[in-house]
Amino acid sequence: MNFQLLEYALKNLQREYFKNLFIFIVLTLMTWLLGTMFLITNSMKHELNLTLDSLPDIILQYKKAGVSSTLDERQSENILEIPGVQSAEGRVWGYYYFENADVYFSLMGVDEFQTQTRKSFVNLVAKQSLDNSSMIVGEGVVRLLERSYYKDYFNFIKEDGSVKKVFIAGIFQTQTQLESNDMIVIEKNTLRDIFGFSEYEATDIAVNVTNKLEVPTVALKITQRYPNYRVLTKEDMRVSYENIFNYKNALFLGLFVIAIFIFLVIVYERLSGVSSAQKREIGILKAIGWRVEDVLRVKLYEALVISFLAYLLGIVLAFGFVYIFNAPLVKDIFLGYSEIKPAFELLFVFDFETLFLLFFLSVPIYVLASVIPSWRIATLDADEVMR
Amino acid sequence: MIEIRNLCKSFQEDKELIKNLNITFKEGELVVIRGKSGSGKSTLLSLIAGLLKPTSGEVIVDGKQISKLPDHFSTLYRRDNIGIIFQKYNLINELSVKENILLPLLPLNLKKRELNVRAEMVMSAFHIQHKSEELVKNLSGGEQQRTAIARANIANPKIILADEPTANLDEKLSLAFIEILKEMKTQSKSIIVATHDPLFFELDFVDRYIDFDS
Repeated sequence: MNFQLLEYALKNLQREYFKNLFIFIVLTLMTWLLGTMFLITNSMKHELNLTLDSLPDIILQYKKAGVSSTLDERQSENILEIPGVQSAEGRVWGYYYFENADVYFSLMGVDEFQTQTRKSFVNLVAKQSLDNSSMIVGEGVVRLLERSYYKDYFNFIKEDGSVKKVFIAGIFQTQTQLESNDMIVIEKNTLRDIFGFSEYEATDIAVNVTNKLEVPTVALKITQRYPNYRVLTKEDMRVSYENIFNYKNALFLGLFVIAIFIFLVIVYERLSGVSSAQKREIGILKAIGWRVEDVLRVKLYEALVISFLAYLLGIVLAFGFVYIFNAPLVKDIFLGYSEIKPAFELLFVFDFETLFLLFFLSVPIYVLASVIPSWRIATLDADEVMR
Repeated sequence: MIEIRNLCKSFQEDKELIKNLNITFKEGELVVIRGKSGSGKSTLLSLIAGLLKPTSGEVIVDGKQISKLPDHFSTLYRRDNIGIIFQKYNLINELSVKENILLPLLPLNLKKRELNVRAEMVMSAFHIQHKSEELVKNLSGGEQQRTAIARANIANPKIILADEPTANLDEKLSLAFIEILKEMKTQSKSIIVATHDPLFFELDFVDRYIDFDS
C-alpha cells in the first residue's frame, strides 16, 4: 500500500468535491435501494418457507358450482383409503373481520385428539388444553385486542348475530411472524359455532403423505377419484405464494431500474472519457516520472474509496431501514395484504450472499468505469497527452 | 553523457522536423540550444526525456539507449535521471506549491519526514518556501516558475531540461531565472536549455551554444 498515493487520491476527491459527492450519494442510494429490496425479499422468503413447511402435503377443497365450498369432514375417511396417504383430517378455519382495527384475523380450529395438521400446533396443543370458551392468540392479535380494551377475552359475533365470549388462554409464538401475527387458535367445535357450521362441516381436508416423493401421484389419484375436489399440493401453494410475491416486486423493480439507470449514466459518463484537465494532469504525472501503474493506482484508490464507502453506508442504511424501522412504505409494496392483516415485523435474516451480490453490483463496476478511461490515457505518450 | 546519433523525428510523413542530428552533451555541461519557434528544440528535449520516440536514430544516455525503451522503463529512466522545466510549467493548479514539488516522489512511497526534508531543501534553494502552502493558481509567473524548477530538482536528477523557461516571464524575472541556472550549474548537473530568448545568448557560464536554425 502506497500511503502517499492514497493521500494524493483523497486530495483528488476533495478537489472535485461536488461531483464526487453526487456520485457518492447516487451510489449510496442505489445500494440502499437494492439492499432494502434484497433484505425484504430474504426476510419474506424465509417467512414463506417456514410457513410452507408447516403446511400439509395436500389440501383438498370442495368445489360447488365451481367455487370453493365447505365439506363434510367424514369424507376424510375415504381419502385415507388411498394408498400412500398417512393422514387426512378435516380442518375448520376461516377469517374473522375485526371491525375496530379494520383487520382480518385467521381463525384456526384444533382438536387435541386429532393429528395436528400444522407442525406448529403440535407443541401448542400439547402445552395448552383448550375448552369451548378459550383460545390461544398470536402476539399481533393481542396488541390489536388490547388497543380495543379486550385484555382477557373477546366477544366474537357469530353468524346468526349472537355473541360468543371466548377467553384468551395463552399467547403463542412461532418462528414465523406471518403465521403467528394474525392467528387465533381455537377449539374446532367452538369455531364451528362462531362460523355457523354444522357438526361435521369443515373448510377443507389436510392430507399428509408418507413418502413425500409420492405427493404428485397421490394428488393425481385423488383428482381422478373425486373430481369435485380441488387438489392443492404444497408445491402448488409455494408457486402461488411466489407469484403473488413476485407481482408485488414489480413496482419496486421499477424503482430499482431507475436507480440502475442513473448508475449506468454515471458509468457511461466515466467511460466516455476523461476531461481535458484530467488528461493534462495524467500527462504531467507521466512526464515527471509516474508509471502507468502509479496513475492507475491513484484512480483505483479514488474509485475504491468512493464506491466502498457508499456501499458500506448503503448497506447500513438498508439494514437500519428494514430491521429497525421495519421498512415503512416499501414493505407495503411487498405485502399486498398488509392493509387487511395486522402489521408484522420483518424477520432478521443475515445473508453473506446478498452482501456479496450488492458489492459486485456496485463497487467493481464503478472501479472499472473509473480506471479504464485513465488507463487509456496513461498508456499514450506523455508528450502527446500534454499537447 | 548524452549522445544523439543520426536522430530523425517527423510528425508528418513528408516533413522531418529533426533530420540526421548528431550531438554529444558532456556530463555537467550547460548547453543552450538556440532557435526560432518550430525549429525542433522542444522536440529534441522531449526525445532526450523519453517523452517522444524518434522516427529513427538513437538517444543514448550513460551508455543506455533510451529511445527504444518501452513506456514503463522510459518512465523509470525519466524519474531517476531527468528533471524537466516546461515552457508552461505544467503545474497542477489546485495543489499547493509543496504538493506540486513533491509529486515526482509520491510513487516512491517515502516516509513523510523525508518528503518534508527534501521539499524544504528545494523550496529554500529556489526561494519559494514562503509560498509553501499557497495554491499554485494563486502564484505569480515567477513563483510558478520557481515551483516548476524546484519540482524538477526534487529527485536530484543529473540532467535538467528547460524548455523555453523564460517565455512567460518579464525581463527581471528572466534574469532571476538565469541566476538560478548559474546556481544549478555549480551542482555539476547536465543542463540543456532550449530557448529563443536573446538574454541567454551571451552568458559567460554557458559551456556551449547550439543553433537549431541551420
